[in-house]
This record gives sequence, structure tokens and C-alpha cells, in this order.
Amino acid sequence: MLNRLGTFLTRTAGNKDTAERFGMADFLAYGYLLLGVLIVLVPVLWTFFSSIKPERAVDSFDTRLLPIAQVQTEIEGIGTKPEWIHEAGGGGARKVFKAGPTRKETDVAPIDAPGDVFKVPRTQLRPSEEIRVATENYLDPLLKRHGQENFTFGIYLFNSIFVTVMATLITLIINAMAAFALSKYRFRGRLTFTILIVATLLIPSSIILVSLFFVVWSFGIFGSLWGVIIPAAATPTGVFLLRQYMLTIPDELLEAARMDAASEWRIFWRIVMPLSLPALSVLAILSVIWRWNDFLWPLIVLISDPEKHTIQLGLTQYAGEFDTDFHYILAMTVVSLIPITLVFVWLQRFITTGIATTGLK
Amino acid sequence: MTETSTHTLELRQIRKSFGAVDVIHGVDLAIDEGEFVVFVGPSGCGKSTLLRLIAGLDDPTSGDIMLQGKRVNAVPASERGLSMVFQSYALYPHMSVRQNLSFGLENFRMDRTEIARRVDSAAQLLQIDQLLDRRPGQLSGGQRQRVAIGRAIVREPIVFLFDEPLSNLDAELRLQMRVEISNLHDELGNTMIYVTHDQIEAMTMADRIVVLRDGRIEQVGRPLDLYNNPANRFVAGFIGAPQMNFLEGRIERNRLSLDSGLTRDVQLATRGDGRVTLGIRPEAIGVSLDGAGDMQIKVRNFEQLGSVTYIYGAFENGERLTVQLGEQIPLQRNQTIGVTLPSDRFHLFDGESGQALATGP
Amino acid sequence: MSLAAILMMMLGVLWIGGGSVWLLTRRRYKLVQAPSFLMDLVGFPVEYAQSIWGRGGVPYALLLPNMLIFGLFTFVPMILNFYVSFTGGTSILLFNRPWVGLQQYADIFSCETIFEPRTCSNAGFSFWTGMFNTLWFVVIQVPVLCVVALVTALVVNKNIRGRGFWRAMFFYPVMLSPVVIANIWNWVLHRKGVLNEMIGGTRDQLSTMAGMTGFDIVVTVLLAVVLMVVSERALRSSDTPSLAWTAIFGALLALLFGWANPLSLIGLGGSFWLGGALALGLVLIVSSESRLARIAIIAAGILSAALLISIQFDAVFDFGRYRPVNWLVQPNTGWPFFWLVFVFTWSHMGFYMLILLAGLQAIPSDLYEAARMDATRPARAFWRITLPLIMPTLTVVLVLALIRSFQIFDEVYLLTGGGPGRETFMIVQNIYEVAFTNNNKDYGEGAAGSVLMAVVIAVFTFFQLWITRRQSEL
Ligand SMILES: Nc1ncnc2c1ncn2[C@@H]1O[C@H](COP(=O)(O)OP(=O)(O)OP(=O)(O)O)[C@@H](O)[C@H]1O
Ligand SMILES: [Mg+2]
Repeated sequence: MLNRLGTFLTRTAGNKDTAERFGMADFLAYGYLLLGVLIVLVPVLWTFFSSIKPERAVDSFDTRLLPIAQVQTEIEGIGTKPEWIHEAGGGGARKVFKAGPTRKETDVAPIDAPGDVFKVPRTQLRPSEEIRVATENYLDPLLKRHGQENFTFGIYLFNSIFVTVMATLITLIINAMAAFALSKYRFRGRLTFTILIVATLLIPSSIILVSLFFVVWSFGIFGSLWGVIIPAAATPTGVFLLRQYMLTIPDELLEAARMDAASEWRIFWRIVMPLSLPALSVLAILSVIWRWNDFLWPLIVLISDPEKHTIQLGLTQYAGEFDTDFHYILAMTVVSLIPITLVFVWLQRFITTGIATTGLK
Repeated sequence: MTETSTHTLELRQIRKSFGAVDVIHGVDLAIDEGEFVVFVGPSGCGKSTLLRLIAGLDDPTSGDIMLQGKRVNAVPASERGLSMVFQSYALYPHMSVRQNLSFGLENFRMDRTEIARRVDSAAQLLQIDQLLDRRPGQLSGGQRQRVAIGRAIVREPIVFLFDEPLSNLDAELRLQMRVEISNLHDELGNTMIYVTHDQIEAMTMADRIVVLRDGRIEQVGRPLDLYNNPANRFVAGFIGAPQMNFLEGRIERNRLSLDSGLTRDVQLATRGDGRVTLGIRPEAIGVSLDGAGDMQIKVRNFEQLGSVTYIYGAFENGERLTVQLGEQIPLQRNQTIGVTLPSDRFHLFDGESGQALATGP
Repeated sequence: MSLAAILMMMLGVLWIGGGSVWLLTRRRYKLVQAPSFLMDLVGFPVEYAQSIWGRGGVPYALLLPNMLIFGLFTFVPMILNFYVSFTGGTSILLFNRPWVGLQQYADIFSCETIFEPRTCSNAGFSFWTGMFNTLWFVVIQVPVLCVVALVTALVVNKNIRGRGFWRAMFFYPVMLSPVVIANIWNWVLHRKGVLNEMIGGTRDQLSTMAGMTGFDIVVTVLLAVVLMVVSERALRSSDTPSLAWTAIFGALLALLFGWANPLSLIGLGGSFWLGGALALGLVLIVSSESRLARIAIIAAGILSAALLISIQFDAVFDFGRYRPVNWLVQPNTGWPFFWLVFVFTWSHMGFYMLILLAGLQAIPSDLYEAARMDATRPARAFWRITLPLIMPTLTVVLVLALIRSFQIFDEVYLLTGGGPGRETFMIVQNIYEVAFTNNNKDYGEGAAGSVLMAVVIAVFTFFQLWITRRQSEL
């Protein structure tokens, strides 16, 4: 009977004869997946949970999951003080605050009677705690309160969005144009152009850093957002991805449009672009990820002017400046992580299948 | 239900559903040693599914599969001792022909010399011994077909399973391979099950034909039995080209009166009065150009092939009639000709169920 | 006003002004067709090219913007790199830079031996340190990345529930920016961070447990029973040992090695790794279906029995107090490097997994059905069918991963800054610092470093393609 139950609970599919039991191989597979997902998610979630903890909990590396804070009480005539619980031997507990510096025997006074100072051993004091979400971690830098003027989130966000949107638009249009030319026209030099583009695919961007700097500088776009947008606007990946897709569009469609006296540009714009929408959206997503996360080149081009920092740069500078204010850094990390996470949750199926089917970077 | 069987292969009440879709609705079938059985039926009727159930690639939802007297539902595909030729051949593209043939045998840890012997004899039998060191990509369609069959032969299986093996070949090659597979069957003497939707293949190759429709067996029998005594209207229409003519009518007191006007005395063995369909093969019908005969038809179209003439005509009430003549006659469109319908070539089917009605006293 | 600005201005006037005039004189637009007019205006150069040269001129006009950007921002810098590497000084104006010939290269190569960066000049020291660190990193990172990605792709490609979910989860880190990744892992890996806390906690608990009387006997007996069951399971299945059970057995064996610590007899540490290596060997033997598989498992079983007995005689259970490791800062431990590899794998694996997954799904399923009819065991199907057929995709992944990990900068720079000391100082960081952050910006040396790096990458890529060339032709 028990045996039967076991079979029933562990069988995966099919009828009773051939159903394979949930075997060791399945067990290992799910174990592997679960472990992998934990390794992916736990650091991110831990960062999130840490970011809503109050400053003291973050600074003391409190590893409890929930945001637990010591209760702060307003005491008349003295000011705001952290609240402690004094457990005397007899089982009674009193809420107290420290009236002097912490020593082996510390001066404390009850909250309800601030005058009665008495000495207790340090070991008998226990912080009085409550659960509180530390919204100030987020609000201080965003609203520039409490001396947190340096993280100008609005400007960074604007710069990042500007760079991402402009670069993606330009990338889409000019890559699609090049792909259209390479996939739908026969002309002299087609092979040469194709080879040139393959060559750029193989040139890693970091080996031309120095001389690219010279070029960008002599064009006068060094230090401006355009210096980040333009050099990377033409991507060999994008051209190939789109070309591959456009090859599948039947030539008859274009011929039909030509019979209707459409100009070549109109054909591109009205027929080829709409039909390439799946490939275009994959490229758009890739481009958004690339631009949004771009770090080294913006670091070189934009670092000297804080007004031009993107989110990534702002966040690094901020973290560098306030090496100890972990609570703010964590909160701002979460802020910059949220948009991309939302986009991902919203579009994940599309993104993963899109990249998998076009299979390129 | 006994767990034994004296047939090579026996199916008992096999059902199969994919999720909520029932594909096979209870199939019973017995196949004996050395038979060449062809499954035939329109596309999507479940032929491949049935074959995969026999092979063990899918599991039946219910029912028993008996192989050489033993129930094999729980036996994995590899241990049933069957081999299968796939519609797309499924040759391993990265292995040479020799490796393709020996791969399966190596899995059984067979002796090297034995493997070589089997591969060589199979290659000789199929005349692919010149190709043993090529890859599948370097072979023509017909050669690939032979390799796929070779891979099945070297296993020396109890039963060969073929799933539409010729459907990827051009017409001429198909004819040639048809003959070769038949010869192969004579030479090896193994049991073979062959799936096709081409009734000519079925008629020419089979010892027995199994006609399937919508996951049910419509009729099982020798090719000419099926041709001469179809069990129902579907089989009658499916077997034979051009298709059998069907004329609607009714029977009252052993008198058949067709909607197109003809009346004839018939002897029904069992049934009384009601609507019937008369089936008559095109070659059974006689023609007279001067309009004499049982009835007149108007020639709508005709095809003169030299040895045969097909006449496509219509009665006055609109019912169509196809006639096949083994001679050449002068014809014109819209000409009216007389036809004779001999009673001894009548097939009568029930008007509602389509079942054949036995004639005779 | 800069050169570019003036050029852009002129171009803009010509394009928008000239284009509008040209279009409006030739075509009629109704007011509702304004968007259409705007698009025509965007494509004005293409329209114009068509009107002058006919359809033959159109592809060139279409290619122009892309090629202009490629040319100006990829090919020109490529050439310019050589030129800059032959010049010295700190000027940004190209014609102000004195020609120094091969001086920059000579600086980099002025070593007693380049395999000992300490014997080099300053320039040579940082360059070769970066280069060797990077090579070391690449040699470890690329195989790790590819193996993890391949294993994950294989698992996700199995007939599992919720494939989309798992796939998305593994891809998620690819979307995160290096800065975010660095902040997250800095926080987790901090000396008082959650990782140390967890390790410390587990260890303390183990210590307390191990301190209890009878613990060793109970655990030994338990382990013996588990090992027996698992090895029996591994051996039972039809005619070759089961791979999955062998894997479990291997993991237990490695644990046992770590515990019994046989290497301590000859005064060495690292027993666990020895056990791990043995376990891996066992799994490989079983997966290759060699005739020795059974014997190997039985031998490993006997070995584990011996180890268990040795524990009985030498029951020392002291895990000691855990001293938190400063993962990213402690020098000469190898941890910073390890975490670099780990974080890089963490953040990039998903992308390569997706590509491999696409490759796996492109293998026709009837090949596997044919293999099933032929009684092919899963391990053999992997080595003989899956791996050869995935090889072209794997080659692409290898090359991409190689180029990508050669250029590692963001993660290191933000996590360790190249430290401790120069343990994780990578070549791109060297170029960046030499050319852009030092007080006297030495563009010449940076350019020379880039040229050398390009050479090394090219050599590596060709070497790799050459190795895999046979497998990838089909
Ligand atoms: N895996 C599956 N899931 C759901 N339905 C399926 C599956 N496989 C087959 N079917 C359905 O079962 C029916 C029978 O399919 P089968 O492949 O057996 O047809 P067939 O007779 O071989 O046709 P053809 O001649 O076109 O090959 C079809 O309607 C098909 O849609
Ligand atoms: Mg089929």
C-alpha cells in the first residue's frame, strides 16, 4: 500500500505501466535549478531587504531578514533617545534610556521617570526593538534631505534615459537601413561591405579606447552625451540580426510596391520596417540593455561633469564618496535596479525567446 | 483478459489521448509472423501515432500491446526488439554512413567483428557499400533512404516499422524504392508495418491493409478484398483511383430507385427499406455513344490517355458519374451518351451509417 | 564652436531646409500626411540619391550612415591607435604629439624577463601584471563559463516543468548593470556580510553538534548506510551504472574525504579537493560507459569503507572558531580572484545559456527518438549526438566568452579596484588608468598597450578557432 502511494506520488506522467518514477536524474535536475535560482536571487533579495533597514541595523551588519530598528523615544527635556529594556533579576522589565556613556555599569533612567538615574550592569540591557521600514534610505537622497545633496537622481535618470532612447532610435534606424541594403539589393561592393561589418564584429571595443578618445575629442563631442551615443550607434550585431531577418521577406512584396510607384525609401519605411518588427524589437531590447548598463566609455567621456553623469556613473561616484553610508548606497542600488527588473518581469518571455532565436550578441 | 497471444504483434483496445484530445479510439489488431501490413488513411487519422505506440516512443493511454506473446507496455522502446525508419530518416548528420549503421549495435556491446559483418551485409543488400564513408549530407535522397533502412536492418528486428518512408522522394524514385522494399521483405521475411497515406503504395506492397479513419480501424484485409468488398462507404471511396461513383437512392420492397431515375430489382440479405447509396467502380460502367443504355449522362469533361479514357459526366439531376474505358472513343463536350450499370458490380451502402449492405438471397 | 558642431549645423540646414524644399516641390502632401512627410524628410538623402542615380545609388545611400560611424569610430581609431602608440607626450592635439618611434613598446618590454613583471620598468610592470592576470583569468573563466552555461542549458532543455521560469531566472542577472552587480556583491561579501555570517553560523552549529557524545558513531553509521544504499542504487540499474546515482555517490565521497582527511597523515591539506577530483573522475568513467565503471564504483565503495573505519580511530571533530574572511580584500588567499570568476559567471552565464539552449532545441527530436530505438543510454547520447551537434554553437559561445572575458573591466574595477595589491589588476584597467586617470596622461603608452592586447586576443581567438575547426565542420 505504502509502496503504491509512493509510486503514485513520484510518477511524472503517462499511465501506470510506463510512467517513469521521479528518478534520481529528475531530482538532480530540479536540485540544480533550485540551487541556481537561489544563487541568482538571494543576493538581489538580500540587497533589497537590507536597503529597507535603518542605518544602525545596516551599519552593525544585522543579518536578520526583517528591518528591525531600535525604538527611539522623545523624552521631555532631554531629546530623542534610543530605548532599552532593563531586565532585573526578578523577572520585571522596564523601559529605560541611557543617561550616560556605556560602561560596564551604565547609568540609565526609566522612560516614564527621566529623573531617576541608576546604575545597571551592561549585560542586563537589551535594545527595545520594533519593525520599521526605513523609507528615509530612499527619500533622503531622492529628496536631497539630511545632507544628501550629491545624488541628483533626477539628472542621472534623465541622462540615462536620454542616452538610451536616442542611441536605441539611431541604432535601429541606421542598422535597419544598412541591413536593408545588404539583404535586398545586389550592387557592387556588397561583399566588401559585409566583410567590413564582420571585421567590426571582431574588434573589441576596449582595444580602441585611447584612439577613440582622440576621435571623439576632435569632433568636439567629448564630455557631452552625444559622445556616448554616437560612437556605439552602429552595431555589427544589429546589422546581422536584421539582415538575417530581412532575407526572409519575399522580394515579390518589394516588387509589388515598386509597381505601385513607391520610392525605395518608402518601401523601406512602409514595408520592410513593419515586417521586420520582431527582429527590430529584439535589437531594441539589446540596445537598451547595452546603453543602460554601459560603464567604461561613459566613465571616460562624462566623468568630469557631474551634470552629465548617467545612473551608473552617479551610483559609482556616490558609492565612492560615501563609502560608509551603506544604507543609502543599497537604497540607490535598488532604485536603479527596479526599472530594469520591472521591464524584465514584463517582457521576460519575449526577451529570452527573442535572444534565443536570434542567438547573437 | 489473457496475458498471452500467439501473434507476432497484437494490439488490444489501444487508446491514446494527448491531453484532452483523443487520437486513437480503441484499436484491435493482430499481425502474424512475416506479414507486410500497411496502415493507410487520410492525413491526421493517427497512423503515425499508432506506429509510435507500437515502437514504444509514446505510451498508450489504455490497452495492451503484445509482442511475441508478451505484454510490452512497460518495456522501453529499445528493448522491444523493433526498429523504425523515420519519415525524415533521422540520420545522425555528423557520423559517416558506417557509423550511422553501427551506432545502435555498439549500444548493445556487440562484438566488433559481428558489427562489421552485419553492416557489410546490410550495405551489400541495399547497394550502399560504396557510400559507407560518406556523411548523410553528401548523399542523395534515395541513398539516405537506403541508409535509414540499413540502420533498421542491422538490428535484425522482430518487426520493421516504416513511417511514410517514401514521402520525401520524387515520383520516379518512389516507384523504384517501393519495389525494393517489397523485394527486401521477400528476402528477409521479417514482419513489417508500413505507414502511408498513398493508397497505391498500400495496394502494391501490402499483404494486408489496415484502413484507419479518425483513430479507428475501418477495415482490415487483403488489398483485393478491400477493393472488391469494401466494408463501408469510406473504404470504398478511399481505395481505388479514380474514386468509386456514389449515387443516392432508396430501396422499397427490394426495388432500388436512384434519385437520378434508374430503377432495378436487388436482393438484400438482411435489411428492409430506406435510403441507400449505390457505389459502382468507374471501370464497371459500359458506354454507348448513341445514347442507348440504362441512363444518359452529359459529358462535362474527358481525358484521353491512349490506353484508357476517363469520362466525367453528370446526370440530369446533377449527380456526377466517372467512367473509365479501356479503349479510345470519339467524344465531345456536352455530348449526351448512354451508360449501362451492371447489377453484379453494385455495392450498396446504408444511407445513414455508410455500412455495406450484403446483397443476395 | 567645434568642428563637429559647425559641420552638423550645415548638414542640418541642408537636410531639413533643402529636403523640405525638394520634397514639397515634387510631391503633394495633405495636412494629414504630415507624419509621412516627416519620414520622407528623414530619408531625404536616400530619396535624393534615387532621383540622381536611380535605384543603383540607393544601397550606397542606405549604407552611408552606418559606414560613416563604423569608419569614424571603429576603423579610424584602429589605425590611429598605431599612430598614437608611436607618439609621446601628454597633448590631446595629435599634431602636437612628438614622434617617438617604438619607444612606448620598448618601455613596456624593458624587463629582464617579461614573465617576472617585477623586473620591468614601471610601464612594463603594470602592463605585464595586467596581461598575466587577464590571461590567467581568461584561462579559468572561459571553461567555467561554458561548462556552467552548457550544463544549465542541458538541464533547462530537459523535459521539466516551468521551463520559461527557470530560463528567465538564469537570464535575469544579464540585465543588471555592473555597478548594481558590484554593489550587491560588495554587500554580500563584506567582512561582516551575510556570507561570512552564514558560514560562521553553520560552522558553530556543526561544532556544537560534533561536541556531543556519540556524534561520531551516529554519523559514521548513518554515512555508511547512505553510502551503501547509494552505491547499490548506482550499480543496480540494468547493465551500466546509473549516472545520477553515481553523482550523488561522488558528492558523498568528497564529503567523506573532507571529513576523514586522509592527506593529513602525510601532513597535507586539501583532502576535500582530492575527494572531489576522485568523484569527478568516477563520474567521468561512468559517463563514458567504460567497462571499468562497475569496478571503479566498487573500488570507490571499498575506499569509502576504509575511510569510515579510519574516522572511528581518529575522531577529531573540531571545526574551530570561524574567522570571517574579508573576501575581496585579503591578499594572497586567492579569494578575490575566485569571487571575480564567480561574479562574472553569475552575471554572464544566462546569456550564453540562452544561445546554447537555442542550439540544443535546433537538434531534431527524431534523432533522439532514433537513438532511443537503438537503446542509446543518455550519457552516450550526450557524448555522441548532443555534443557533436551543439559544437558549432559552442564554438560561437567560446569565442564570444573569450573576447568578453579578455575585456573584463567593470566588475573588477568596481569590486576590487584591481586589488588587493595587484592581484586582480586587469589589462583594460591598465590601459584605462595609464591613459585617463594618471596625472600625466600617457596616451601613447595606453595605445601601445591596446595594440599588444589586440594582438594577444587575435592570437587566442585564432588558436581557439583552430582547435575547434574540426568539430564545427559538418
Ligand atoms: N504530441 C501531440 N500532441 C497533441 N496532438 C497530437 C500530437 N501528435 C499528434 N497529435 C494529433 O493526433 C492526430 C494524429 O496524428 P498522426 O501524426 O498520427 O497523424 P498521421 O495519420 O500520421 O498523419 P500524416 O499522414 O499527416 O502523417 C492529429 O490530429 C494530430 O494533430
Ligand atoms: Mg504521420
